[in-house]
Amino acid sequence: MASIRVENIEKTFGKFKALNGVSLEVRDQEFVVLLGPSGCGKTTLLRIIAGLEQAEKGRVWIGDRDVSQLPPRARKIAMVFQNYAVFPHLTVFENIAFGLRMQKAAPEKLKANVERAANLMHIENLLERYPAQLSGGQRQRVAVARALAVEPEVLLMDEPLSNLDALLRLEMRAELKRLLAESRTTTLYVTHDQVEAMSLADRIAVMNTGYVVQYDEPMKVYQEPANTFVGGFIGSPPMNFLKLPVEGRQARIDSLSLDLPMAAPGPEVLLGVRPEDLEAFTVQQPQSFPAEVLVVEPLGPHLLLTLHFGQQHLKATVPPDFAVRAGQTIWLKPQPDRLRWLDPSSGQALEAR
Amino acid sequence: MRSERYIPYVLILPSVLFLLFLFAWPLLEALLLSVRGSGGQWTLENFQRMAADLYFKDAVKYTLLLTVVIVPLQVVMALGMAMLLGGISKGRDLFLYVWTIPLGISDLAAGIVWLAIFTERGYLNSFLQGIGVIQQPQLWLSYETPWMIFLAVVAAEVWRATAIVFVILVAGLQLIPKEYSEAAEVFGARPWQRFWKVTLPLLMPSLQVALILRTILALEVFAVVVALGGRNLPVLAGEAYYWYNAYQNPGVAAAYAVIILGISVVATILYLRLMRSKQEGAA
Repeated sequence: MASIRVENIEKTFGKFKALNGVSLEVRDQEFVVLLGPSGCGKTTLLRIIAGLEQAEKGRVWIGDRDVSQLPPRARKIAMVFQNYAVFPHLTVFENIAFGLRMQKAAPEKLKANVERAANLMHIENLLERYPAQLSGGQRQRVAVARALAVEPEVLLMDEPLSNLDALLRLEMRAELKRLLAESRTTTLYVTHDQVEAMSLADRIAVMNTGYVVQYDEPMKVYQEPANTFVGGFIGSPPMNFLKLPVEGRQARIDSLSLDLPMAAPGPEVLLGVRPEDLEAFTVQQPQSFPAEVLVVEPLGPHLLLTLHFGQQHLKATVPPDFAVRAGQTIWLKPQPDRLRWLDPSSGQALEAR
Repeated sequence: MRSERYIPYVLILPSVLFLLFLFAWPLLEALLLSVRGSGGQWTLENFQRMAADLYFKDAVKYTLLLTVVIVPLQVVMALGMAMLLGGISKGRDLFLYVWTIPLGISDLAAGIVWLAIFTERGYLNSFLQGIGVIQQPQLWLSYETPWMIFLAVVAAEVWRATAIVFVILVAGLQLIPKEYSEAAEVFGARPWQRFWKVTLPLLMPSLQVALILRTILALEVFAVVVALGGRNLPVLAGEAYYWYNAYQNPGVAAAYAVIILGISVVATILYLRLMRSKQEGAA
């Protein structure tokens, strides 16, 4: 096991700048998720760490070894690919044993490691089968077992669950979490699914347009997004952003005044608030502002409301028994300790000082 | 709704008729021709006459030898070329086009091209004379040196028909997702190991197609041999031609054709058996 450190990685594809000087450190035994929309550079970064892609600039360290110039086979890594890449001409056993065979591992060790990895992934009864005889979920298990069998210093996973159907993905997600918590392998995991990232990660590196925008623990990223992109990308529905006028050290929503913990950058400020951090009332309350209900969507555990405040749209989630219909005006009370203040011109969060 | 079920059959009908008329029927005719005497009675006379012929043994020998030499050579070369092409990004198309030019040349034309090289006053002799290796033109393609004709045919066939193997293998390689090779690389395989343990097994279906196609065509080799050696290098298809044309004996010619068919069928069955991919039993 080892840490991963990348320094100042730059990568261009033709005229497209995929990575703009990315630096990132993954601690030993840590599970880090690279999260971002497609085209943000997350897979490219993973492939550069794997050695499958060459960066134009920057270095990659695994443990205290500079592996920037090493081919993938010398980096002591294992990887799980998005489409599994389980060899169709080899049995499950031989697939899992592939890395060990390449290392010319002793037969006893090979057998022991393959069986241990197969047991961990609950595929010990499939060892003699060929991949064509397996379901998608089983192939995914083989791919993970193949990676675990070589006891890598670092495990790289490229959207490993994205080809599974929703129910299976949920099941595999929990299983991966248990498994990697047990094996304590340093893991870098790429996904565009924010729920997956939140669920699995010790820390999330949110990427956009070739930059790491924020790198922090899941709840921090969720509650204290570094900018409007992170707040909008993470969370479903995303964070609301309301542009509000500033008076001294206060921002005004209708008649409600909210204290700013910092000096405002200009005459307006952006308030970031999560839909679940707006408490809804049918009658006026202190510390609340009015909004007109446009759409009511019953989602089961809660109602999702789309609302109008002046010219600005916002969303709120309210208890399922909240009696409301479209066209009605309700009062929303923001939770004062869950507010995020941002600069409306740059979209960057303002830090309290 | 009901009538729509017939549409697919109606649509394939022309090609089925075409195949029946131009392949199945002639095939049957040839089979019948080979086992019937001049009076129409059933007989093995044609085969006996064929086997007793002076050229028969040599024709079998040279046809099989040519196939055994040419086909593996072509497959190895085409595989090498296809793998090299996979490593090129700039100018890839140029190589692809240049390497497939011979596909557009008829086999007789190819034979004549190589005749122009090997003939007494051909390019090879001019060249050798020019650099002073020989004093006077050598007779390369004579009945006294059948091995030389043999080599010339091998050269011409390799030059002419490697491209078809190449095209099949390039298409096959493009069907293999690059993740397999990448996975092998990540899990420690060196370039040669990736080739032997991953690429080659995954290419098996394409190799099988290429081998079957090339073997059948090699067993029918004719025009190149006629151009370069005439009957000095007898081959089965050539004998069928001579018996039909020169000796006016369609029965024995048909017997030769049936022999070629028989060898082709056996070779195809062998390829299908020996190269059956393991995962096939699954799906």
